[in-house]
Amino acid sequence: MLASFSDYFSFKIVWSRMPDLIKKIPITLELAGLAFVVSLFVGLLIAVARYKKIKVLDPLATAFLSIVRGTPMLIQLYVAYYGIPAILRIFNSWGADINVNLIPKIVYAFISLGLYQSAFTSETIRAALESVDNGEIEAAYAMGMTYGQILKRIIIPEALENALPGIDNSIIGLVKGTSLASTCGIIEITYQNQILAGRDYRYLEGYVALAIIYWVITVILERVFKAVEKRTKIPESPAEISGKNSSGLKEKTSFISKVRQRHGYFDHKELA
Amino acid sequence: MAILTIRNLHKKFKNNVVLDGIDLDVEKGDIIGIVGPSGTGKSTLLRSINLLEKPEEGEIEVGDTKVSLPLKHGSKKSVTELRRHTGMVFQRFCLFEHKTALENVMEGLITVQGKNKKEAEELALKEIENVGLLEWKNHYPRHMSGGQQQRVAIARTLAMKPDIIFLDEPTSALDPELVSEVLNIIKKVAEQGYTMLLVSHEMDFIRKISTRVIFLDGGKIIEDDTPVEVFEHPRTQRARDFFHKMQILREPDYYL
Repeated sequence: MLASFSDYFSFKIVWSRMPDLIKKIPITLELAGLAFVVSLFVGLLIAVARYKKIKVLDPLATAFLSIVRGTPMLIQLYVAYYGIPAILRIFNSWGADINVNLIPKIVYAFISLGLYQSAFTSETIRAALESVDNGEIEAAYAMGMTYGQILKRIIIPEALENALPGIDNSIIGLVKGTSLASTCGIIEITYQNQILAGRDYRYLEGYVALAIIYWVITVILERVFKAVEKRTKIPESPAEISGKNSSGLKEKTSFISKVRQRHGYFDHKELA
Repeated sequence: MAILTIRNLHKKFKNNVVLDGIDLDVEKGDIIGIVGPSGTGKSTLLRSINLLEKPEEGEIEVGDTKVSLPLKHGSKKSVTELRRHTGMVFQRFCLFEHKTALENVMEGLITVQGKNKKEAEELALKEIENVGLLEWKNHYPRHMSGGQQQRVAIARTLAMKPDIIFLDEPTSALDPELVSEVLNIIKKVAEQGYTMLLVSHEMDFIRKISTRVIFLDGGKIIEDDTPVEVFEHPRTQRARDFFHKMQILREPDYYL
């Protein structure tokens, strides 16, 4: 007898997996969010240490980057998973009193994910800081601004525009990277799928359902980031700005001027 | 009373002496053109006065603010104070890329002078109108020509109402056809009674608008007089040679 297609693959099962998987999305997002905070904080420290070439910290940061980039993330995760408790136990043997068993597993995971991602985020931030024109900083100094003011009003806003696409990528990378955390026993969506599939051996459907969920999350995030980037970005053509009136609302533009904008012609009428 | 006093200013880059004991008094309303061969410290002089470069030795006094060099710990405050009384226009415009023309002019009024947004906008609009760019106020620097950017930079400097304005080769980075629009603005500013120090290679322009011309060579002031005296009867051979060369450049048939 011929086996039917649904013996090998059934959309119905993919669909039926969804509710149980979706339940664990908060864990995935929590893990990614915490890891992002770590990566942003550590990445910023490393970026500033290298941007300002701070003694001792600069070579340390460089060594850290080399190690983190030169080893697989899965290995780093295991090193953190076994290494952090080991270090704490050493502290305990010196007289500290930390109950290692009370530390939730998610802590090791987000520290390790965050450190891994910080290696990449730091380079994004450093490149963005260095992209700010030195002349602008001098001009601000010449006006009588202090370094703090220049940082706040000139360097950070300009660097942010350049850093945003890279930071967005790192968030998406982190969301996908959380699937590795299933290997240290955190029940997020990937681990949840393994549990569910272990009951009926429908692994393929489970992984397909999982892929769909990761993809949907990523697409939503990309949409959000694009909207944010659009708000912070300097418009490409002058016509885009002249289309805005003083209240910041877009005025209706004529068909001809739209065509001109699209083809990059400069519309003098728009200025008036 | 002198608005700017410089005493015995020394500056070197590694072993290269750029300013070698400059003394200068600038009176209110003076328009001083600074000329000289390249590499003689014209730009460095301007950048040293507002401490964008750090001279090794000397004294600078603008209004009531006095800065003695070398800078000591804790002199940051007087440096900032001195910069608030001076304005600078750069060769490469150096507008804030992420701000519109109007925001560029408003920036210093808000952060440095602590004005509120409405007040700052009013003052800024006045200055932008002064340089004739009112309809460009919402444009970003990257969408403007070099000449327009430089005019915004001038408006940005004027908005701060500085006691003295330094212009560091304001037209050197411009295409030839854009030079005149910037020079016209500078001329207009000069007529409004501002005190200016102008480094430029536009000899005719300097001759026309300045009240006093300084010739720098080897980090020293070797000529200091009215434009007519300096350009027509230079006392030093160095200046004579320099003006002779410039003259040749202006007569194309000489080398054709």
